Amino acid sequence: MAVSTRRIAARKLSNLAFVGFCLLVTAIALTALALILYSLVSQGLGGLNLDIFTKDTPAAGTPGGLLNAIIGSVLMAGLGMVIAVVIGILAGTWLAEYAGESRYGVVVRFLNDVLLSAPSILVGLFVYEILVHPFGSFSGYAGAVALALLAAPVITRTTEDVLKLQPIALRESGVALGTPVWTVIRTILWRGSTSGLLTGALLAFARISGETAPLLFTALNNQFRSFDMSKPMASLPVAIYQDALTPYNDLNRLAWTGALIIAASVLTITIAARFLSKEPRRS
Amino acid sequence: MNALAPLPADTSVAAIDKSRVKLDVQNLDFFYGKNHALKGVSIPFAAKTVTALIGPSGCGKSTLLRALNRMYALYPGQKATGKIMFDGEDILRRGIDLSMLRAKIGMVFQKPTPFPMSIHDNVAFGVRLYETLGKADMAIRVEEALRRAALWDEVKDKLHTSGLGLSGGQQQRLCVARCIAVKPEILLLDEPTSALDPISSAKLEETVTQLKSDYTIIIVTHNLGQAARLSAYTGFMYLGELVEFGETEGMFTKPVTTRASDYITGRFG
Amino acid sequence: MSTIDAPAPGLAKSIRRTTPRGKAIDPIFEGLCFAAATALLAALGGVLISLFIGGWPALSKFGFGFLTGVTWDPVKDVYGAAGPMVGTLITSAVALAISLPIAGGVAFFLVELCPAPLRRPIGTAVELLAGIPSIVYGMWGLFVFAPYFAAHVETPLMTSAAPGSFAEQLFSGVPNGTGVLAASIILAIMILPFMAATLRELLMTVPAQVRESAYGLGATTGEVVMKVTLPYVRRGAIGAVMLGLGRALGETMAVTFIIGNSHDFPTGLFVAGSTIASTIASEFNEASGLQASALIALGLVLFLITFTVLALARLMLRTQVKG
Repeated sequence: MAVSTRRIAARKLSNLAFVGFCLLVTAIALTALALILYSLVSQGLGGLNLDIFTKDTPAAGTPGGLLNAIIGSVLMAGLGMVIAVVIGILAGTWLAEYAGESRYGVVVRFLNDVLLSAPSILVGLFVYEILVHPFGSFSGYAGAVALALLAAPVITRTTEDVLKLQPIALRESGVALGTPVWTVIRTILWRGSTSGLLTGALLAFARISGETAPLLFTALNNQFRSFDMSKPMASLPVAIYQDALTPYNDLNRLAWTGALIIAASVLTITIAARFLSKEPRRS
Repeated sequence: MNALAPLPADTSVAAIDKSRVKLDVQNLDFFYGKNHALKGVSIPFAAKTVTALIGPSGCGKSTLLRALNRMYALYPGQKATGKIMFDGEDILRRGIDLSMLRAKIGMVFQKPTPFPMSIHDNVAFGVRLYETLGKADMAIRVEEALRRAALWDEVKDKLHTSGLGLSGGQQQRLCVARCIAVKPEILLLDEPTSALDPISSAKLEETVTQLKSDYTIIIVTHNLGQAARLSAYTGFMYLGELVEFGETEGMFTKPVTTRASDYITGRFG
Repeated sequence: MSTIDAPAPGLAKSIRRTTPRGKAIDPIFEGLCFAAATALLAALGGVLISLFIGGWPALSKFGFGFLTGVTWDPVKDVYGAAGPMVGTLITSAVALAISLPIAGGVAFFLVELCPAPLRRPIGTAVELLAGIPSIVYGMWGLFVFAPYFAAHVETPLMTSAAPGSFAEQLFSGVPNGTGVLAASIILAIMILPFMAATLRELLMTVPAQVRESAYGLGATTGEVVMKVTLPYVRRGAIGAVMLGLGRALGETMAVTFIIGNSHDFPTGLFVAGSTIASTIASEFNEASGLQASALIALGLVLFLITFTVLALARLMLRTQVKG
């Protein structure tokens, strides 16, 4: 069969175009992302000093730091994670171990995934309606609940996935000894998946530590240092948001430093999570 | 005596003296949803002996084994009818305490399944469910079980390391030790050596040989040589039916039914 | 050392309990797990219901006109969602249009073209960047991108457009680096890593044998990708795209900084606009009464749009035949 050389040439050309396109856009993408990281570091690093971690958010023109915002973020994310981990692991366990093929299980799984990708600002509105509006005040608790609602679906998904990876024979071995189901889950299945469960929790934590929108209407913000979660509470993302929008240079710089801190924390946590999940089973 | 269904043509089921029967399956039908997987199976399992179940893939031997400790109860849509008499009780009836049943009937699976904990805790796991033993008593129990499973010498210095660190053959013997630590009466082995290399398989077979004086053992196996080596009785199954059952020696030298004869001589597999 | 006593009929004497330890807790534990799963369901339902209840005053006042109304005037208490809705749809669509080919190219690069030692680092870099919070993109957009965009893109385009031409209309607006197009670009950059990572994962589910058979027939890289791997994951790819769209629709912080926050119907690329999310974010805390209700009603609209998109996306991803 005679193969047309024109045909071959045309195919080679289109392949060249394809390869060229892929290389080009990858370069563009990496460049754009590199630019962002560069700005983040160059603008934020300059403001990184001890004051950040020792002083509270200032008014324009006065020196200050981000301590109260950091404390607030840690408190709310911490509480949010506690709630999310409890709900997420139990819900994920239900999906993996009890739901089977039931219709209800299918619905829960499906809607969990929808909640996972839902706009975080709407979650903020919801929590406002149930925890802020009726009580007449913004609070750190409301902020924590909003964050919990964003983290829980992530943990549910990763828990279910990780539990389903466990071999069926393992589950049956426990049952064959007459072990009660919850003991099988607790001492065999959960214990055998700890690195996977931890990874899920870390990923959820990374996600919520950068969230701004849900905190806008729940925890609001607080100029001053406060550990009282029943009152408005500062957080790093909201502090950055407000400082960035002001026309004052020093506050803008503070916002960059805050952004750097958040980005660095999220990256660290994500790297830790990936490191955990790649670790081979140890003896 | 219950009237059993009359045996179809080309089937032969030897009888065993009632006094020696530990587990008596009578007219067992099993369904995976609509799929009729076991058809009117009746088979006696003699006490303190090894009975082997052989047959080609899909014949129902694992299904039969898993019915004996009602493992299928985990899965909705799987159903068994008939009777399985154990110590005078029908274990298929409603209301049976499945946990206590499984305390008396242990199971070892095809794939070794060590729990994610230390070797000691693996063996102690079942015991802790049913008894409260002090540390010293538990240590004795664990050692007993490991010795009987022919694993003690290999692990006595590392009882507190994870069970996952053992080799495949050792893990399987750990599973055996775990089973016998709760002092069951019956051991169900579902192709226990098919995932092991020849040396580990041989070691496990040795273990089974030593255990048979104290436990009733039922072993499902693909390996005809293994069945011949280990068992006193053998049941040959085909397409969900028990085709032939009798003393192993007789079956392997002069099988009565043509289907069994064809399988054993390798005419089909 | 004691001898092993055979498990004689006196089995009862070595087993002290009549049920295994912990058996009674089984139903309680199962109930807790079920409750947790239902709580998630309830949360989603709760979001929908609360948005509906909160938005009802505005919805009942303006009726269907809420969706089509172009005026958003807190002073006169007249609210129409058309401006923010159109802004949301345009920015998301443009962002997707920009981001999709790039994300696709990156994914193809990583799967087919990338030299092996580089694959891990670049792949990891893309995944890590997918986790950067959107506020970082927003800030970068406002402080770095906007001035550059104003000086090097907006101003030249606006000054070069002939008066009265379509181009003039297209490029109309204020050349300060904010506006609908700028926001779309930032949004595109923001969803880019996520889309690239998702598409790449999808491409990696294609079994090696399928790709190898294609190469074995003499197909070029481009042909293998476009004619074999991509069709293989077609449903999943559509799902991934819709997932990216869902993200873009709901994105708040990346957009709020740079869209200009004007509620008018956008009439040009560089005109200030708004999205539903940015409107809610910038106005809710100062709003009360009918305005607050209108904002919540906006939220309801956004919820319905994103829910539909996300539900379809998940459906597509689930029906994707996994290698």
